[in-house]
Amino acid sequence: MRPEHWMHTIPLRFRSLFHQTQTDQELEDELRDHLERQTEEYVAKGLSPKEARRMALVELGGVEQTKEKCRDARRVRWLQELAQDLRFGLRTLRKSPGFTAVAVLTLALGIGANTVIFSAVYAVLLKPLPFKGSDRLVFIKKKNPPRGWDRNPISPAEILAWRNQSGAFEDLAAYTQRTCVLTGAGEAEEDPCEVISSNLFPLLGVAPSRGRIFSADEDTLRGPRVAILSYGLWQRRFAADENVIGRAFDVNGDSYTVVGVMPSNFSHLYASPYGAPPELWLSGIGLSSTLVWNDYFGVGRLKPGINSQQAQAQMNIVSERIEQMYNDLKGWRAQLMTLRTNASGDSRPALFVLIGAVIFVLLVACANTANLLLARGSGRANEFAVRSALGADKSRIIRQLLTESLVLSLAGGVLGVLLASLGCKALVALAPPFLVKSTPGLAAGATDLRVLAFALVAVTTAAFFFGLAPALQSARPNVAETLNEAGRSALQSARSRRFRSALVVSEIALAMVLLIGAGLMVRTLARLSRVNLGFNPRNVLTLRVPLSGERYKEPQIRAQFWERVVSAVESFPGVEAASVSRGLPISGWDGQFFTILDDPNPPAGQVPAANYVVIGPHYFRAMEIPLRTGRSFNDQDTQSGERVVIVNEELARSYWPGQNPLGKQLRIGDQGPWRTVVGVAGDVLSQGPDGGFNPEMYIPYQQYPWLVEGPKHLVVRTSATVKPESVVRAVTQEIHRVDKNQPVADIATMEDIALEPIKQQRMVMALLTSFAGLALVLSALGIYGVLSYSIAQRTREIGLRLALGADRGSVLRLVVGTGVRLALLGIAAGTGVALALTRLMTDLLYGVRPADPVTFGVVTFVLAATSILACYIPARRATRVDPMVALRYE
Amino acid sequence: MSKPSDLVQGTLDMLLLKILALEPMNGFAVSQRLKQVSGDVLQVSDGSLYPALHKLEQEGWITAEWKTSEYGRRAKYYSLTRLGRRQLEKEADNWGRLSSAISRVIKLKEA
Repeated sequence: MRPEHWMHTIPLRFRSLFHQTQTDQELEDELRDHLERQTEEYVAKGLSPKEARRMALVELGGVEQTKEKCRDARRVRWLQELAQDLRFGLRTLRKSPGFTAVAVLTLALGIGANTVIFSAVYAVLLKPLPFKGSDRLVFIKKKNPPRGWDRNPISPAEILAWRNQSGAFEDLAAYTQRTCVLTGAGEAEEDPCEVISSNLFPLLGVAPSRGRIFSADEDTLRGPRVAILSYGLWQRRFAADENVIGRAFDVNGDSYTVVGVMPSNFSHLYASPYGAPPELWLSGIGLSSTLVWNDYFGVGRLKPGINSQQAQAQMNIVSERIEQMYNDLKGWRAQLMTLRTNASGDSRPALFVLIGAVIFVLLVACANTANLLLARGSGRANEFAVRSALGADKSRIIRQLLTESLVLSLAGGVLGVLLASLGCKALVALAPPFLVKSTPGLAAGATDLRVLAFALVAVTTAAFFFGLAPALQSARPNVAETLNEAGRSALQSARSRRFRSALVVSEIALAMVLLIGAGLMVRTLARLSRVNLGFNPRNVLTLRVPLSGERYKEPQIRAQFWERVVSAVESFPGVEAASVSRGLPISGWDGQFFTILDDPNPPAGQVPAANYVVIGPHYFRAMEIPLRTGRSFNDQDTQSGERVVIVNEELARSYWPGQNPLGKQLRIGDQGPWRTVVGVAGDVLSQGPDGGFNPEMYIPYQQYPWLVEGPKHLVVRTSATVKPESVVRAVTQEIHRVDKNQPVADIATMEDIALEPIKQQRMVMALLTSFAGLALVLSALGIYGVLSYSIAQRTREIGLRLALGADRGSVLRLVVGTGVRLALLGIAAGTGVALALTRLMTDLLYGVRPADPVTFGVVTFVLAATSILACYIPARRATRVDPMVALRYE
Repeated sequence: MSKPSDLVQGTLDMLLLKILALEPMNGFAVSQRLKQVSGDVLQVSDGSLYPALHKLEQEGWITAEWKTSEYGRRAKYYSLTRLGRRQLEKEADNWGRLSSAISRVIKLKEA
């Protein structure tokens, strides 16, 4: 029934819509025909032609009315009216280009900002994860509450115990992160890679697009060495070779066979703040229930019906059991994180703050546009009164006004989406790298369908809200009154003025909240930039050289390599010092347990631990880390010399309080040679400002006990007048002169590295500041608009006052007083809201309380000053009112 | 006597469909026929007739065609569609049920 029905009706509707003139003509013809026949009929019955025609017309009930009813029957009426409203709306908007430009721009900025922020938020917080049943997947790390350590890697002993004994998991997989140097097919290259257990991919519900996953027998240390390539690596290094399965290539000097290639859309689960996504996966994880070596991460699939709290509790029971067996596991408990939390990292609070902020911006933009439209609406009161008098009903007028605001917001939306694609690029420049990584489209300024959908929703919501207020206001007027008084009555607009004042007050309040947020971030950044890092980050270049491959398994060869490179680089003009190190300040803490000779058996769980930095001789000079007492390392601190160590002040304070640390002895782990403390270095921030100072020990690289992974960062201090970037070429050439097969990676200045942990705060600050600035300008415009309008309305009153002897000062005070009252109301409301909301920012602040009185004070002052300025121009205009002109005004 | 009672809602549609079911005709003829068959009981003004015809056309129940009439005059002729015939059957059924029910009630003997 229905399809047949549509077959008939759809062409009819099209005809009514697009052949309107023709259908109207036909209607006209039909009715005329009817009238003619009816008239003839009556004439035949003996009426005079004139009388006959009159009768026929009466029976038809008025030709125009009947036509109108027939048109109503066509069911496309609303569309035609919409088109009419659109045409009319566009015409009125074109007639006032200033108003239109301001309104469209305001909306575009509001909508654009929202689109940008929501693109980022969607990508980080909302986008569905590409894994089967991802809500039951958890990341497993560990924490040590008594010592305040968290997010630490776990050991195979724990992984196997948790998997087999906790009863919480369907399965639990493990991986460990590595740096792989690929040789054997083309130029040597270095990539992040992972050694994974064979059950990892099945657990995630992903499979290679070519080849297979690892088998269980490949999990053993001595099993076959096989690898799975990422799609990118396969394309790049293996030229998308279809026969790549079975090909052999060298990884860190060992030969591996390719068994699989992951699909291109395998967005990696470790797209997280921590490290770059791996390019290949290796077999041979070699988990053993007795291995306590904290270098692994776990991914578990919870059993149905078990939530992470229950899993946590069950895993804690297992931990309590195994910490009896291994001293090193004392005090450690599993730390579970959903994939989402892991992927968004610490960015959640920042993103939530930004979402709140952009919504405020949109609200300010809407309030401002509503204000503009309302002012216009009052100006058009006469027009609407005339239209109702001519028979337009209220709903028709409201529809007309809503159409106008829809046109405005659509224009704003289109411009806003354009602005958004620019904004995305700006955000990428500001955002911490992991955010960029997890939102690949952002860099391209991509506004995908979801974001467009969002913008559309934002636009329609905006249209609804700011179209409604003026529409309701305008549809209400008492026709007779308006027409009679011709807008003379100030009473008529009193309600409208109150409403507009309320809008301005809320704009100021919103701007206040944004300004407070921005102010707190500015103060935070100021504090952060004054933080004592413990070293001088200026003029320091760092590069990483992995030194992998068969050749460099010998520590002597590694030492020779570094000696040659360092001494050559130190002889460069403009270079003051160069050294090598394993681990750089700010970029992380590599904890290592140690034993103190004076107190060799501390209670389990209180084993001393310190950040473990392996360095070359001139490291302290290159970093400008002060040496508090004792000596620095020198060329005599070699394999054959006395074993030495330099500790930082924090370590000396923690473990030898009130004693002279020089000459004390310690050893790394619980074996190995005892080392004598020969110096005490100043404290350095090892993890950024939030981490504070931690115990650290420095070991000369020639006495480094584990030979697998030695120092790999070259640090070069240039003289104050030489930019560190300018020596990159020379240093790289020097490295390649010594060994042309060594890739050089992670070229960065220490200043960049020092900025890394606060990049998020910088991004939030930059965005909040621009949002707040925008809101400030908009609310200033709001005050200005309201006052200008009310002065225009009260010209007569002001003229009268002046004529009756009021001096211009009192008029000025009257007008400015009105504006300032609005501003103060807004500031009061804003302060209340800000006090309630800034607490949510606590995680982002550093050294500033959310209710920081300085920020609140300064912001209040800025807002008040801006408001007074915005009042001043209309006020000046009021004082210039000429009483005579004003009284003759109407 | 009061004005002849208004047509029951939707009845006009049914009447028009029925009249057009007999033969295709133009609006004027429909108007004449309506007056003719119902006497003066059903007064349908021409002012309501045309909107009703246009509504039926938009529903797809009748279709219109411009034809030249017997006296060489062009006029819009309406005729029933298949959908219209089905609709007429449905409405006639409904009407039959409704009117017989009403007459049964009206004919109840007073005690």
